[in-house]
Amino acid sequence: MRQSSLIAVLLAVAMSLFVAMSPASAASPAREFHKQIQPLLSQYCGDCHFDGMKKGGVAFDDFKTDRDTLTNKELWSMVLKNVRGHIMPPPKKAHPSPEECQRLVNWIKFGVFGIDPKNLDPGRVTVRRLNRVEYHNTVHDLLGVDFDTDLAFPPDDTGYGFDDIGDVLNLSPMLLEKYLAAANTIVGECVPMVSRVRPEINVPGASFHDSGDPPSHNGGTKSLSYYNSAWVENSFHAEHDGHYKVTLNLTTTEHYVDDQFDTNRCRLVFRIDGQERENREFGREGYVDFHYSFDEQWAAGDHQFSVEIQPLTQYPQLRALALRLNGVTVSGPDDTHYWIEPKDYRRFFPRPVPAMDDKAGRRAYAKELLTDFATKAFRRPVDAETAERLTDLAVSRSAETNSTFEEGVAHGMVAVLASPQFLFREERPASSGPNPLIDEYSLASRLSYLLWSTMPDAELISLASAGKLRANLDAQVKRMLADPKAAEFSRNFTGQWLQARDIEFVALDSRAILFSQEKKDPQMEDLHDRYRELQRMKHLTEDEKAELAKLRERFGKTFRRFDGIRFDELRGALQQEVQLYFTHIVREDRSVLELLDSDYTYLNQRLAKFYGLTNLDITGSDLRLVQLPTNSARGGVLTMGGVLAVTSNPTRTSPVKRGLFILDNVLGNPPPPPPPNLPALEDVKSDTGHELTLREALAIHRGKPLCASCHDRMDPLGLAFENFNALGMWRDTDHGEPVECSGKLMSGESFQSAGELKRILVENHGDEFYRTLASKLLTYAIGRGLDYQDTETIDRIVDSLDKSGGRFSVLLDGVIKSAPFQRMRPAPSLGDQANAPTKAKI
Amino acid sequence: MKQNADKSRQTAARAAAFSRRHFLRGLGACIALPAFESLTPTKLLAAAAIEPLATTATGAPLRAAWIFFPNGAIQDAWWPEKDGSSFAFSPTLKALEDLRPHIQIAGELDHLCALAGPDGGGDHARGQSVFLTSHRIKKSATDLHASISIDQALAQQIGHLTRLPSLELSCDNEHKSGACDSNYACAYQYNLSWSSETTPVTPESNPRLAFERMFGAGQPGERWANTLRVQAEQRSILDFVMDDAHRMARRLDNRDRDKLDQYLTGVREVEARIQAAGRFGPPKDPGTETPAGVPSSYGEYLNLMYDIMWLAFQTDSTRIATLCVAHDGDNRSFGEIGVSEGHHDLSHHQNKPDRMAKVQIIDEWYVKQLARFLKKMESTKDIDGQSLLHNSMIVYGAGNGDGNRHNHDNLPLVLAGAGGGTLQPGRYVKHGSKPMSNLFLSMADRLGVKNMERFGDSTGRLQNI
Repeated sequence: MRQSSLIAVLLAVAMSLFVAMSPASAASPAREFHKQIQPLLSQYCGDCHFDGMKKGGVAFDDFKTDRDTLTNKELWSMVLKNVRGHIMPPPKKAHPSPEECQRLVNWIKFGVFGIDPKNLDPGRVTVRRLNRVEYHNTVHDLLGVDFDTDLAFPPDDTGYGFDDIGDVLNLSPMLLEKYLAAANTIVGECVPMVSRVRPEINVPGASFHDSGDPPSHNGGTKSLSYYNSAWVENSFHAEHDGHYKVTLNLTTTEHYVDDQFDTNRCRLVFRIDGQERENREFGREGYVDFHYSFDEQWAAGDHQFSVEIQPLTQYPQLRALALRLNGVTVSGPDDTHYWIEPKDYRRFFPRPVPAMDDKAGRRAYAKELLTDFATKAFRRPVDAETAERLTDLAVSRSAETNSTFEEGVAHGMVAVLASPQFLFREERPASSGPNPLIDEYSLASRLSYLLWSTMPDAELISLASAGKLRANLDAQVKRMLADPKAAEFSRNFTGQWLQARDIEFVALDSRAILFSQEKKDPQMEDLHDRYRELQRMKHLTEDEKAELAKLRERFGKTFRRFDGIRFDELRGALQQEVQLYFTHIVREDRSVLELLDSDYTYLNQRLAKFYGLTNLDITGSDLRLVQLPTNSARGGVLTMGGVLAVTSNPTRTSPVKRGLFILDNVLGNPPPPPPPNLPALEDVKSDTGHELTLREALAIHRGKPLCASCHDRMDPLGLAFENFNALGMWRDTDHGEPVECSGKLMSGESFQSAGELKRILVENHGDEFYRTLASKLLTYAIGRGLDYQDTETIDRIVDSLDKSGGRFSVLLDGVIKSAPFQRMRPAPSLGDQANAPTKAKI
Repeated sequence: MKQNADKSRQTAARAAAFSRRHFLRGLGACIALPAFESLTPTKLLAAAAIEPLATTATGAPLRAAWIFFPNGAIQDAWWPEKDGSSFAFSPTLKALEDLRPHIQIAGELDHLCALAGPDGGGDHARGQSVFLTSHRIKKSATDLHASISIDQALAQQIGHLTRLPSLELSCDNEHKSGACDSNYACAYQYNLSWSSETTPVTPESNPRLAFERMFGAGQPGERWANTLRVQAEQRSILDFVMDDAHRMARRLDNRDRDKLDQYLTGVREVEARIQAAGRFGPPKDPGTETPAGVPSSYGEYLNLMYDIMWLAFQTDSTRIATLCVAHDGDNRSFGEIGVSEGHHDLSHHQNKPDRMAKVQIIDEWYVKQLARFLKKMESTKDIDGQSLLHNSMIVYGAGNGDGNRHNHDNLPLVLAGAGGGTLQPGRYVKHGSKPMSNLFLSMADRLGVKNMERFGDSTGRLQNI
């Protein structure tokens, strides 16, 4: 022992105090610390963390009391991470044996964290509001409406990297107002408000044809160019004499081209039975819908529509201006005798509405419909009182003048969608007592929001209502993963864990990035700046026009090489690559280590070209599973273009961001945030004043001890990927210099390339990756951040992954069967609530 | 499943640019209206006699707005050389020169609560959330704890005078996924306004929805009817959902009840708005097309949000507004003005001249957009014959001083407008290291708010504004 005897005495006194103050069980961890753990730490960590040595602010021999030792969970959690991550002790020092490690780990878990392995604490999940994605999908499944929540609702706040964390999913008054409005809009969009409507038939644009050709039965639209004369026609058969309303539906379209405007115009003439009804000029309008309606008194029989396009100008055709003929809608006849049931009427009202004077029958029918709807929407049976109140709403609305039975029911449905029981995912215990299981309806919702990002389907609910969901859990999970809705799991989980969602809008300047791979030429750069300046200017003098033409000539050639690369057009494919790849691992139950390294990926023609894999013969725009050539740099998410792009800066790579990404999302050991008032690392200046390469700049920074502690871990990881530019494309040079990727990990392994790093991660750091992925997935699944108490849950999942070679199904099974997923901390009794401080004036 | 929605959003974005022209064309016509007599809030003038809240000496509405810009500013280019009334406009503020008599440059005001202290990194999260709260925020990824912001505190006192107690706008319609600044909850970085210690007020980032909130949905002429219809619909379910929330709350524990409480607060606010609509009658419809959505060009987007704010003040829909032009730490690139690097990256300029020059271009660009808005305010007549700008107090500033240093003292700040004659613009005033909250209190005084002794870290009032 290294302590002086005085300290030992003090400790003993402190320990006895501690014993006196703590539950009996807490006495043993303190004793264990002195007998087992401290000697271990002294042996392996003593050089830097004992006897006054306090490297990184950590000393293992200056706890004032045992209480201090045992309550410093943050310290021990750090110890746990660093020891398991092979970061401590440092590579060159002696390392504890696996048994010794396990002893330390167990002491931290069961002693310091106080985890009871026989009765794991499920933790506390704050009631979760549906986020934008879940709301969208739930409404879609409930009512078949594709309601654009990204437009209607503000972005959800995220916590721990995910947007389904109960604690941060706030509900502002503005959002509540939007929920009320959305409920109205959604119900109004799909629920018929009357029993009969005027028939309405759409003659789709694609079915219009040249007078010679036969009609096509394609239900889509038809695009008519501004630049070519055209005449297309179609006919409509009216069943009855009467008054009809005919509406022509058009959208103006163009292909956006930066800084180039197309001033062409055309004339459109619309005729019905040869009579001109509309005659109008169109210029460049952007994407705008146009509707023109006409009243027609028709005899039964065929009627002819024609659309004629006359080009009016012959300016340069820069933006592919076109009129998209969406179709012609015919509504009528007016005579109510011929009216029909509205579309989808039976879906909402399966039986005829009882007659007006059958009040009891109507009420019973309304109640039946609303009970059924509310049960689906609330994802558990609606209680009798709520059903009664909903029925009251419906009946009183129906009783208003000019109102219908259907309107009443629709009104009740609006109330359901606005209810907190719909908007929040309330979970209930299956029984009383400590850490009860959640009831099966709650379980059904947890499963469906995890795997589908939407409400449970009929099968899940019916199993839950029979109390048979837990008994059939494996089969149900299998069924759910096979369902197309499981694409949402890949989309939303990888969208956030791997930040694939950001691919859609990350700001990148392709030209600047590609340009910077070559040697710097200040003169060219000035000229190029001037070129771009001229391009942006709206009104040019003749001189400037000439200058621009000259520069265009010059730079046009330079950039022609980059022409194939339109990053904006690749965003979708890059995002899909991540999702499909993950889905493949899920569906085929592959090892999750293949997320880090593999010999396959998903590509379409464009993406293959972007990756330089031009000899694989991939054509078309659909992504498909592709076997990569041996020694390909791709394979695994870390070398996917999308992931590389979202961890870059707009004009250059960021090894720091890329390194941090790996520490955070692969190794699960992110460094603490940088101290305040520090400049970004890459921006250091050289003493000699010459322009530094990124690698040099980083090296200078790591020379500073304060920076080194974290950047020694981040930078080598990030620099390994320097062969991939900020767009995620392969490159050999940066500013004309060959790119260098070699480096060394904190844990000691050296590598020469990203490929080698990926292999090291798979071979030596699989456990850390399992732990990270399990933690991320559990966080996403239960909607709360993980705490010390969850360490054992995660360890058990890691153990089973180890045993199974990392199969995805084992990971998912571990999460779904874990205490945090299956159980809940019971709500405190009402007595506790009365005493607890609360702002809630409820 | 969301593919369709994505597509329609792109279409909407493309359509937006077009509609903005329509919208603005319409607004031009709006300016031409003779002095807005029809807007005269007679009931308000009567009320003003008893209770001169948010009202100028000449009986016009007095407004306050806070506009936040990200990542600080290049200091040397921001501050004028001389102070007092003989100051010369600095390069960054040059665009405001035409508005000289209406501009006060406020120097040496600080937000010391945004300093790191024991909390370490996270100056962007702090710069943003301290800006209007003047309060140290709790460092946590999920456990939000800030304080009521000045705009909300004032709205609680004067909000009943207008259809909307306050208006919160932002141009951040996309949020980055993953964690935010240095383990601070993302909510700290995307919100300026807080209605309580734990509840951020989500800003509206969709111009169409902001417009509809003020004037109703649909075409000009049918908006009021639409509003009434929507409100009738809302009213009829409010009792039901309120009851539902109460019953649900009984089943849940405290943390959950906080969420239900947010829900109930929302319900009460909807009720209050319905009552306000009854009290105020139809709003003055600007007679323009409703903006279509979020324009794809950031410049157009920002200007559209400024237009919404201008419209809100012009129609006296509210007297309190905030606009976050972009959240602190925003890394947008400005290809439109030839700066393709990210703003945040550049702001760590390390005193390299080329990077500073680029940051300055962005700073200037932001000020130009402000100038455009202020000119519009200046050229719009209020009911007392003065300009809207004269009858306003508009703070434009950032939560970090220099983006490279992450300091929170001597924050770049402009105070525009004459506060209905209570401010002395046309000067550059150095306040000698005072808390920004002192400025807020001085603004509160001018709005007639009586019982605000202190706010955040305030030490008194600013004497010389």
